[in-house]
Amino acid sequence: MTITEKAADRALRTALSRGGEWAELFWERHNVVTLTLDDNKLEDAITGVDQGAGIRVTAGDRGVYANGNVNDGDDLLAIAGRAAAAIADDGGTREVTAISADTLPRPSIVTIDPRTVAIERKVELMKLANREARAFDPRVHQVTVLYRESAQDVVVANSEGRFRTDTRTRLVFGVLVTAKQGEVLESGYKAEAGTEGFEMLTEEAVLETARTAARLAVQNVAAEPAPAGTYTVVLSSDAGGTLIHESVGHGLEADLNLKGMSVYSGRLGEKVASELITVLDDGTDPGKRGTAAMDDEGTQTHRTVLIDKGILKTYLSDKKHAKKLGIAESGNGRRESFRHLPICRMTTTMIARGTSDPAEILASVTDGIFVKGMGGGQVDVVSGNFAFEITECYRIRDGRQAEPLRGATLVGQGPKLMSEIDMVGWDLGYSVGTCGKDGQGAPVADAQPTLRIPSVVVGGKVAQPS
Amino acid sequence: MSEKLTNDAIVDRAIASIKGLRVDGGEVFLRDGQSTSVEVRDGAVENAITRGERGIGVRVLRGGHVGFAYTSDLSAAGIEECVTSARDIASVTEPDPDVSIATKKIDSPDLELYEAGIDDRSVAQRTVVALAVELAAKGVDKRISGFRKTTYSDGSLTTTVATTADVRGSYRETYFSVGTSAVATDGDERQIGYHGEAKRQFRLVDPDAVGRVAALRAVGKLGAKPFKTQKLPIVLDPFMGMSLLGAIIPLFSADAVIKGKSLFAGKTGTVIASDQVTIVDDARTPGALRTAPFDGEGVTTTTQTLVDGGVLRGYLSSLKTSKKMGQAPTGNARRGSYAAPSRIGAANFHLAAGAMGPDELVHGLDRSLRITSLLNLHTIDPISGEFSLGATGDYLERGERLYPVQGITIAGNLTTLLSSITGVANDLVFGSSGIGSPTFVISELSIGGA
Repeated sequence: MTITEKAADRALRTALSRGGEWAELFWERHNVVTLTLDDNKLEDAITGVDQGAGIRVTAGDRGVYANGNVNDGDDLLAIAGRAAAAIADDGGTREVTAISADTLPRPSIVTIDPRTVAIERKVELMKLANREARAFDPRVHQVTVLYRESAQDVVVANSEGRFRTDTRTRLVFGVLVTAKQGEVLESGYKAEAGTEGFEMLTEEAVLETARTAARLAVQNVAAEPAPAGTYTVVLSSDAGGTLIHESVGHGLEADLNLKGMSVYSGRLGEKVASELITVLDDGTDPGKRGTAAMDDEGTQTHRTVLIDKGILKTYLSDKKHAKKLGIAESGNGRRESFRHLPICRMTTTMIARGTSDPAEILASVTDGIFVKGMGGGQVDVVSGNFAFEITECYRIRDGRQAEPLRGATLVGQGPKLMSEIDMVGWDLGYSVGTCGKDGQGAPVADAQPTLRIPSVVVGGKVAQPS
Repeated sequence: MSEKLTNDAIVDRAIASIKGLRVDGGEVFLRDGQSTSVEVRDGAVENAITRGERGIGVRVLRGGHVGFAYTSDLSAAGIEECVTSARDIASVTEPDPDVSIATKKIDSPDLELYEAGIDDRSVAQRTVVALAVELAAKGVDKRISGFRKTTYSDGSLTTTVATTADVRGSYRETYFSVGTSAVATDGDERQIGYHGEAKRQFRLVDPDAVGRVAALRAVGKLGAKPFKTQKLPIVLDPFMGMSLLGAIIPLFSADAVIKGKSLFAGKTGTVIASDQVTIVDDARTPGALRTAPFDGEGVTTTTQTLVDGGVLRGYLSSLKTSKKMGQAPTGNARRGSYAAPSRIGAANFHLAAGAMGPDELVHGLDRSLRITSLLNLHTIDPISGEFSLGATGDYLERGERLYPVQGITIAGNLTTLLSSITGVANDLVFGSSGIGSPTFVISELSIGGA
């Protein structure tokens, strides 16, 4: 099934039949295929479809949200009825603006719909990656290859007359390699992911992903444990953008700022970072994992300048918080599925390119840590304290990349770190991930140029008191 | 109006549909759940959310191949399509002779998982609980300036598993949870403290305690200082202890052991932890949060001592891994939802309580760091066991708190951590994740800081 304008109109009228000021319908049909190759076997093959809708009604600051699986028009009206009953304020029936559909440009082009590709081809690519990773080094001990395709058809309609649709086709191809040396086990992970069609999975891309994962695992198993303490750190653009996502991005989400819960609350127009730092969120970046034509409230995605040469310009907003804070709607109201209310989320977040030569940034450091891979991170937005995992790093000795180190984390405080960065490279590197907030996952990407941080806490296993 | 099938009729149809195919057998998992959440802010309801979910996951076995499909379309045609999809996708998997379905009758006594009356509770009654949390938090200290989010949720779930070998079981369960993140402000400094609880019965949820603990955590971090890089004994209270224990669970997975991805592979009967460490996974205690009569494959659950006085005694297993290891299945193939196949996981996993009181335990340490929050727990690598986490803490001398610290890291390896547990207190608590921990002490960890 799909949702017609007529069905949406009827559901919205039902939702507003017992009071409330504004209503919205979010419908989705989500097809997923997940394949797992582990221990040389294609072990798991999963296919499925989840279809449902959520209806939101608001009255002043109060909101209700009813959702459930939807298989026919009756299911949808039952959800609308539940929302209406929950908001009931005896305000009588409200008007619904006549619905009119419009079409947004699609920033990501899908040339080959993965649903049209034979499953055998997908398995073949996984086996190719498995063989490549195993051939990399005798210390490769185990290989897991993951393929996930997701096709999400979305309809958003609201009582202001909006009716918009979007299709998000997303792919993840991940390789996890375990290396063993003596009793020590280490892992290396690399994933290719995007809002793109099957054309992104060329044989070369698959082989490169496998080799990178294997190289990381083998390198880590032989590496020295990282030190603990305060160091000068150079973050290579190869590491992608987990730093900007954690240290700044979350703190710029409008919902946290409205509640005064962020270190950036009430600071629009103020200097919050070094003038070398410009931060953007771009939901229109073609093919990237966070990209879509619209957010999950039907607002067109944007390229939003958040921090311009150190000055805080705006926040990442959904409809509700844009209105409350008096800022432009940035198209960042995202939800994991119809089971969730939209919240302010990042899409593809980045620090803009600077002017320094990346090679000169590395050469400028006599003793420090060179970070070439970042994993997951977390931030406490209230205090600004963040931590992120380093998956690949080296000691810097006399301006050169020296021995590899393993098991490190980087911790700091967002605004402090952003005011201390003193060199920004002219390069730019991307990374992908799934961001968690309030129990909802969202596909995101992030990007950074090479950066120099004069002094930051690195957490490894070897504590050398100064 | 289309006819809606009952849960039993859906499962019957799916099983009949599998039996109608030329396959070796199959399994049907159904979940039907309703839940309500209320989010409050500044003394008023911000959002009231009602959720409904109903779907099936079907596993089909054919000549050692296994395919899995799920759907929320529970019409006769939707069920049929789901079963055929599972059969079709099975062909791409490699055959594994140890793949099977449950054939033994389920032992399913009443485990006190369901509390009647949940559907009669009004939004107003639910709101009262959330508001009480905020009130209690504000009562703790006048520096509590607000809340990031306070949520009350409850829900009921029906779970049914059936196999073509005539195994069939069904149970209902309820849960009630409440949590808040309180913010403390002092001048320009702000700190946050979270606490939450989840219970099987409404009357066991204690909004006052939740608010109070969250507020104390936030206030306790005010004035936090940087801390020098050094090595110190580490004290983990039950809630911080649960966080780290959760990271150890994957090491007990028989699947990881078989594939050489667990540091515990080949270690049964050997010492893997200090003699103070006894770890139990318990799925049968009535009324406990992760208790269940059977697992996602329809296998009767068990209670198992995994580590006994430091010695590794067993692993968490599914039907497949138990067959590969030649052991009885432990009933640990758990299902997160109908849309995901079973994965090996723990039930009420806990570190058994010791004898000493927590204060007495900490008092014996000249200098120590008591952890008050951890960042980046999700990045702990279960394969290497390596962890390096952001942290805040309290610096203690002879158990007395001198000052709070922030901007630090703690790092180590999970296996070393288990061997370095030098004291376990008697204050075992089970948290909202189902994991239980008493206060315990690690002899030494590297702390990264200024």
